[in-house]
Amino acid sequence: MSLIKETDLPGIGRKFQVNTRSGDKLVIVIHDDGRREIHHFDYDDPEESISMVTLDDNEARRVSGIIGGMAYLPKALESVEVAFDNMVFEWYKVESGAKAIGKTIVELQIRKKTGAMIIAIIKKDEKIINPGPNQVIAEGATLVVIGERKQVKACKELLLNGSL
Amino acid sequence: METYVMLEIGLALCIVGAAGLLAARFRFSIVPFLILAGMAVGPQAPVIGVFDFRFIESTPLIQFMGRLGVLFLLFYLGLEFSVGRLLKAGKSIFLGGTTYMLINFSLGMALPYLWGWPLREILVVAGIISISSSAIVAKVLVDLKRTVRAETEMILGLMLYQDVFVAVYLSIVSGLVLTGATSSTTVLKTSVIALGFMLSFILVGRKLAPRINKLLNVPSDEIFMLIVFGILTLVAGLSETIHVAEAIGALLVGLVLAETDHLERIEHIVVPFRDFFGALFFFSFGLSIDPFSLGGAIWPALIAVIVTIIGNFVAGLIAGRKAGYSYQGATNIGLTITSRGEFSIILANLAKAGGLLSILQPFAALYVLLLAILGPLLTKESKWIYSKLAGVFGWPSIKDKKQRRRAEAKG
Repeated sequence: MSLIKETDLPGIGRKFQVNTRSGDKLVIVIHDDGRREIHHFDYDDPEESISMVTLDDNEARRVSGIIGGMAYLPKALESVEVAFDNMVFEWYKVESGAKAIGKTIVELQIRKKTGAMIIAIIKKDEKIINPGPNQVIAEGATLVVIGERKQVKACKELLLNGSL
Repeated sequence: METYVMLEIGLALCIVGAAGLLAARFRFSIVPFLILAGMAVGPQAPVIGVFDFRFIESTPLIQFMGRLGVLFLLFYLGLEFSVGRLLKAGKSIFLGGTTYMLINFSLGMALPYLWGWPLREILVVAGIISISSSAIVAKVLVDLKRTVRAETEMILGLMLYQDVFVAVYLSIVSGLVLTGATSSTTVLKTSVIALGFMLSFILVGRKLAPRINKLLNVPSDEIFMLIVFGILTLVAGLSETIHVAEAIGALLVGLVLAETDHLERIEHIVVPFRDFFGALFFFSFGLSIDPFSLGGAIWPALIAVIVTIIGNFVAGLIAGRKAGYSYQGATNIGLTITSRGEFSIILANLAKAGGLLSILQPFAALYVLLLAILGPLLTKESKWIYSKLAGVFGWPSIKDKKQRRRAEAKG
């Protein structure tokens, strides 16, 4: 993980500085009024911002979803997670061979056994928000799981192996 | 002749709004526009039909709303301020801030001393000259997209340092000016009382924090706001009775309430009031200035402006280089902190209340006006100024850096 440096800007907001592995420098300023500024710096000149984008709060959330892989999951990955402190949202793709395929949520006792919760199932042709207990886990579907980090981890194990 | 107070206030607010529109049209800081608008109207202005541009009946009201503006400005400053932040800003800020204050405060004392002004005036002028406007500086940094630059941290740190300085300085000076103390024992006594009041207020406030938390635990925003503003105004009024500026009282309330769990809720509620009454504060300051009385103050104000720009630039350069910023970054620091505004005006009003030399009002008006216009301009043009200076002092020029980089990239 590249180093992210946080700095307070009293009266303005907070600044995050990211030095990426690819050698770029990215600076994000979150203004207290909700705007975000994203600046791209020349790698060997930390002084001059080459280009910048200003986003309002709405746009910033949409963009963060796109960057986070929620709008389109990179093919190389089978899961994407968003973390708030200890709470994790994870987009988990059910690969072929997972033991949970064909079983319902209630059969797997996901909530009881792991504490995590499936809040949405995304298939090619439909999205099921807040699936009921009788929803069947289908191959290739992406599940949105919420819980604490270890609960989500347990849930993925349960889906893969059919037991803990 | 009948007077219509509501109509006058409405007219005043429309003028303030128009000044704001003009400022937005020119993409410039609103502060100088508000002061100029206030100066344009007043006793010397005409009466057109029912519209009385002299604001004779409503001036006391507008002045009072301006006073509320000071309360809200300083209250917000207190809310935003935190000791933790100051400690995090650390040593470079302390060194830089002290350097800045030593240079500029002594320059601020030297000028009125050379002009032969009395001691209390010297102390007030030193404050007017050395304290930047955190409101203008923060706004200019955001408007010019400078928030990402490394040296911005230092600039905001210097503002924090100055906030602490203002609190201590203002409480001592307000004691001196308002009590009219002259002998050294009374001076010492008023200073001790003022500082003692501040410290004990903060200590008692910390002790009472859980109680205040409970008191403010009301779901209704309306009642919440009434309680907060009640405390704010009452404390400001009380501090005045012991000759501590009401602004300091407001700052202290902000500091104490910042320690409670309701900080964000309070900030949310205060901002619109701060903006509204803050605008009226700058307008009412302009209104209290008679443009025809500025004549005698032109030279002192001009000299003070030039000295301020040079002093700020040098201090910024020293502080910036010491903290390890590039010459360009250090130049930006020196040029950005030159804006003057609310604090200089608060001091000028204090001088008026204490019956000091009447030249201080027009002097402060011209001085603030010039630096509220020049400060943001200098900040905006800092790149150009740097490239000019780089040639003189042999600093690395912006073009050089780019060429060197290109050469490296090719090589």
